[in-house]
Amino acid sequence: MTHFLVLLLFAALVGIVFGVVGRDTARSRTLYGVKIFLEFVGVGVGLAWLLYWIPI
Amino acid sequence: MAETVSVNVRNTNSTMWAWLAGLVGWAVPGIGHLMQGRVHRGLLLGGAVWVMFISGILLGGQLYGILSSGAGVLSYVFGFLNLGTGLLYVLCQTLGIATENLSMLATSEYGNIFLMVAGLLNYLLALDAFDIGAGRKL
Repeated sequence: MTHFLVLLLFAALVGIVFGVVGRDTARSRTLYGVKIFLEFVGVGVGLAWLLYWIPI
Repeated sequence: MAETVSVNVRNTNSTMWAWLAGLVGWAVPGIGHLMQGRVHRGLLLGGAVWVMFISGILLGGQLYGILSSGAGVLSYVFGFLNLGTGLLYVLCQTLGIATENLSMLATSEYGNIFLMVAGLLNYLLALDAFDIGAGRKL
C-alpha cells in the first residue's frame, strides 16, 4: 500500500506541474493534469501487474 | 532614431529580466514566478517541487555529487538531475543531508527518483519563468 501511495503522490505532483506549464486555460490545465495523473497511475499499475507474472 | 534606441533598451531590459527570473527560479523553486507577480503559479509549481524534494529525502533518497562517480558514469547524470533543485541541492550537500546511500530502506529507490524528478521539474520551472520574463508566455 505504501508503494501505491508513493505512486499516487508522484503522479499528482507531476500532473500539477505538467498541467500548469503545458496548457493555457484553467479548464485545459485541469483536464491535462488529470490525464497525466491517470496515465502515470495506469501505466504504473499495468507494469506492476505485468511484472508480477514474469519470473525473475 | 530615438524610438529605435528606446525599443532596443526595452528589449535588453526584457532579456536581462528573463535571464534573472530563470536563474532565480532555478536557485529557489517557485521564486522566479513570484518575482514576476505570478503568485498562484509560483506557489503551485514551486510547492509541487518542494513537496517532491522533501518527500524524496523522507523516503531515504540520495543526492549525488556532480563530481562523484560512486554509481559509475550514471552518477554524473544523477548529479546533474539533482542539481536542478538549485540552492536546495547545494544546501543539502553542504550540510550532509541525504548524501548517504540508504538502500536498506524499502523506499530509498523511490526517494532517489523523487529527488531527480524534482530537479528535472525545477529545470522546467526555470525555463517557464524565463519564457514569461521574455514575453513568450502570458
